[in-house]
Amino acid sequence: MKKRVFRYFFDFTDGQEKWLNEMAAKGWRLVKCGQLTYDFERCEPGEYEYAVEFVADKSYAKSRDYKAFLESMGYKTFYKNVYVGIFFGIKWRPWGEGAGQIATAPGSLRKELIIVEKKNDGKSFEFHTDLTDLLTLYRKIRMAYFWYAGGMFAFALLLLFYAVRTNSLYGVGCGTLRGARVPVAHTGFEDFAKSPKTQGRS
Amino acid sequence: MREHIAGGALTETTFLVLLSTYTPNHGYGIMQFIERETHGRVLLGAGTLYGAINTLVKKKWIAPFGDAEPGSNKKTYVITDLGKQMAEKELNRLRELYGLASRIIGGEPK
Repeated sequence: MKKRVFRYFFDFTDGQEKWLNEMAAKGWRLVKCGQLTYDFERCEPGEYEYAVEFVADKSYAKSRDYKAFLESMGYKTFYKNVYVGIFFGIKWRPWGEGAGQIATAPGSLRKELIIVEKKNDGKSFEFHTDLTDLLTLYRKIRMAYFWYAGGMFAFALLLLFYAVRTNSLYGVGCGTLRGARVPVAHTGFEDFAKSPKTQGRS
Repeated sequence: MREHIAGGALTETTFLVLLSTYTPNHGYGIMQFIERETHGRVLLGAGTLYGAINTLVKKKWIAPFGDAEPGSNKKTYVITDLGKQMAEKELNRLRELYGLASRIIGGEPK
């Protein structure tokens, strides 16, 4: 018996891990994950345990090395995305480590997490047992959140600024491109606007 | 993994990984060694272990040993001379600490 669940986690490490473990406790084992989907099949309740590892700060080579290491430890692993998209992509991760600052798809983009599955053997499945190690990890995740939240805030601010500016200065509809261009045409850019290079545009 | 600079003490994780590589060992073996030898008191997480191994390789305290076993991706590591020096230094520090603690707590006449 199989089932597919649609889900996205903003609390992508701890929240996702908790949910996967709840599913496993109910007898659902992860077999595949897509960008927004999880495919499960039936297993014994509590047969498997899950941990979610954050690897978005690592370069693709390093994250694959880590994945191979985890597999050599006898765990099953899945790559999982935080970032959603379907096209070729490239992204700058200022909080990344070395080559991990650039993420591309195909490559490390949309492979921000590794979901690790272990057969339950009664032992703890803590991934980070050293305090400094745990602190480093949370610092990384915090930086990732910080840059994304900060980026979104800056973008919102820019939009707001643009809307207010176009509105108050020119009395044109809020933030439309046309509205912003019309006044530009009266300030000495007419020739530029009429030049053959820009004729094609409107 | 940061070490205390002033005291020169190694973290327990570092010390245990060093001890476990006196004979060439791979990740899973290191984890089992530590669990066995500390009677389950120290259970090393895979993430922490991976970080510790990489840090120690970077510091040249342990080094990759030979080629990975054919048909598997298990990398084997062995302690270096520098690593042995660090481990011996740590042992001396612990001896000194042990002496001090025995004297104060145990009331040994010394």
